[in-house]
Amino acid sequence: MINMSEKRINTLPVPTFRWLGVNDYKYDIKEFDTDIKEISVPENESKSEVVYIDSESATDIRISAENGSKIKLVCVFDVQGQARSKVTAELDENASLELVELYLGGDVVSEIVTELKGRKATFEADIGFKLESGDKLDINLIADHFGRKTVSSINAGGVLGGSAEKIFKGTIDFKNGSDGAKGAEKEEVLLLSDEAVNKTVPLILCAEENVEGNHGASVGRIDEKQFFYMQSRGIDEDKIYDLAAQAKLARVISRIDDKETLERINESLGRGEDSE
Amino acid sequence: MKEKTQVVDIDRSRYDFRYEEDESEYLESGIAPEIIKAISDEKNDPEWMREFRLKSLEIYDHTPMVDWGPDISGLNVDSIVAYIRQKNRMKTDWEDVPEDIKETFEKLGIPQAERESLAGVGAQYDSELVYHNVRQEVAQSGVVYTDLESAMHDPKYADIIKSHFMKLVPPTDHKFAALHGAVWSGGSFVYVPKNVHLDIPLQSYFRLNAKGAGQFEHTLIILEENSYLHFIEGCSAPKYYEASLHAGCVELYVGKGAKLRYSTIENWSKNMYNLNTKRALVEENGTIEWVSGSFGSHVSYLYPMSILNGRGASAEFTGITFAGEGQNLDTGAKMVHNAPETSSYMNTKSISKSGGVSTFRSAVVVKENAKGSKSSVNCESLMLDSISRSDTVPVMDIRTKQCDVGHEAKIGRISDETVFYLMSRGLSEEQARAMIVRGFADNVSKELPLEYAVEMNNLIGLEMQGGIG
Repeated sequence: MINMSEKRINTLPVPTFRWLGVNDYKYDIKEFDTDIKEISVPENESKSEVVYIDSESATDIRISAENGSKIKLVCVFDVQGQARSKVTAELDENASLELVELYLGGDVVSEIVTELKGRKATFEADIGFKLESGDKLDINLIADHFGRKTVSSINAGGVLGGSAEKIFKGTIDFKNGSDGAKGAEKEEVLLLSDEAVNKTVPLILCAEENVEGNHGASVGRIDEKQFFYMQSRGIDEDKIYDLAAQAKLARVISRIDDKETLERINESLGRGEDSE
Repeated sequence: MKEKTQVVDIDRSRYDFRYEEDESEYLESGIAPEIIKAISDEKNDPEWMREFRLKSLEIYDHTPMVDWGPDISGLNVDSIVAYIRQKNRMKTDWEDVPEDIKETFEKLGIPQAERESLAGVGAQYDSELVYHNVRQEVAQSGVVYTDLESAMHDPKYADIIKSHFMKLVPPTDHKFAALHGAVWSGGSFVYVPKNVHLDIPLQSYFRLNAKGAGQFEHTLIILEENSYLHFIEGCSAPKYYEASLHAGCVELYVGKGAKLRYSTIENWSKNMYNLNTKRALVEENGTIEWVSGSFGSHVSYLYPMSILNGRGASAEFTGITFAGEGQNLDTGAKMVHNAPETSSYMNTKSISKSGGVSTFRSAVVVKENAKGSKSSVNCESLMLDSISRSDTVPVMDIRTKQCDVGHEAKIGRISDETVFYLMSRGLSEEQARAMIVRGFADNVSKELPLEYAVEMNNLIGLEMQGGIG
């Protein structure tokens, strides 16, 4: 059943200037029956899951990773219309979560909250997006470091074409007691259009002395030297942008092993022949 | 047992003296139409300003309190005295300034600085300017440096004031901008004509001596084409247990090819709520450079905004924040690229210790028409213990493909590797750590005017005791 209602979700852990419109996502969004998926990984075991979302829906994935376990989750969003996704994870001692998310279209609101509770828990996120006119993406990713020597690494990047709108909110939160924790966050966005809107909001919150946190972001056009080099090799401008866009996604796609998923992605990207 | 490196709080004893105020000079506390009208009467406001104040009060009444940032629930605006009348009119000869006020500023080193290194000085004590003076040769070059109220009543400048006052920061901007519009008092007006380069700085110093009071000065600076000015702003207050409020406003208009350097050293006492608003509009090939040191206040909200409105305009923000016990300092900057080939650069450092909270908050907005623009943000935070807090909250809003925007942030403690390296070069551990902390602040402190840089080095005293854990 689908209802329309105004909601405030994807709330930034520390709100900022209201006029920037990034504190939360507050538009009329459809209310779907939520598909809840619970993934528990027992001690020292490994699991791998793929979720391919190609229709309007709401998904809620709840991960619990016990001591020494490993979980790899791949989520691909390729939607005509709206989709909502929530991934929450609790990681015990030495547990690790590898999250790969790829956004290929739609009006998607995505929240990812990972609690690194146990000592030396690790969280690695690779996020890619390729959005065109009409696409909207609001991502709110939060890595809460509770345990000692926990590590998070967040890599996001992609291309925005047409009138696509994207907000990426990435928060590394070093809680008091997360002694020796490390967190790194990086985002690289290539804009292919003057109508596209990119908002990048990388937060580091810190209540612990002995931690290392850093974030870097780079937004804009192709590096002038790279552009010149490719032109000097006889590649025209459109092709250069196309290559750059493919390169931005290749990093994320290379993390996906599942053959069927790769075929669907390549089909969606209009390069079915590349999957051979 | 190893002892931790102690970085002592900033020593404010130099600022922590006070003089008894004659209470009869206070207007009633709180914000009401009668009080606003009384301020207008006191200042003999022109009709437009009287209306502006009352309109601002209406906006204040209807504007909600900020719902982000540090907690300001300890501030009760109704108990703040918005205006304190001065018995004596503003002086242009230092010897004519009342003795207690003169002594205050002499303790702060203002007259000495004026003699040695400034082109002009303004000194505000509570609600009113008590002294304003500019060197004769500077005045002869056409530079105007006077108090805003005199300028508003001077037929030569009245229209300029009317057409610029609170146009960059309208009362609708936020609740404390509206409050400022209603009760503002004091502050400076600076006008630098076309092609005039002022080689030595002007300085305004703001002192809030009264208990439970607010200071609402307004600074308006206009630089015409190809002119240059360095303006220094200093502020301090003695400590009281009652909350004090500073809700000043700074509006800067930088003309074509002009360059303005605006340096602020904020050292309010720890009972102060510093809710200040600063904004610059920069025209073609103009430059604004902000240098900002935030050391005092109980709570600060301070984010100077640069609106790059002409092709090739540029802005630079260099800031350092030191949050100690009982302080929650929320500082940063906003850059709005609203024309092609504009550039902005932010470089900030913050230090948190003894339970202090320091937040770096920024916004970089590159609009559709800002093609060929560049922006770079770099912020670093140093945590000196685990009872303090340091947050970084930057936002980038980019709306053109033809731009380059970069952002880097780092947070952490003193690096063991760096200490090890310095020790391998012959330094003791204490010397190494002291050098790192001083070095952390160095690239910001070197941007400060010399006398303030020296003062800052003295302020951040380092006590190294034994090894460090």
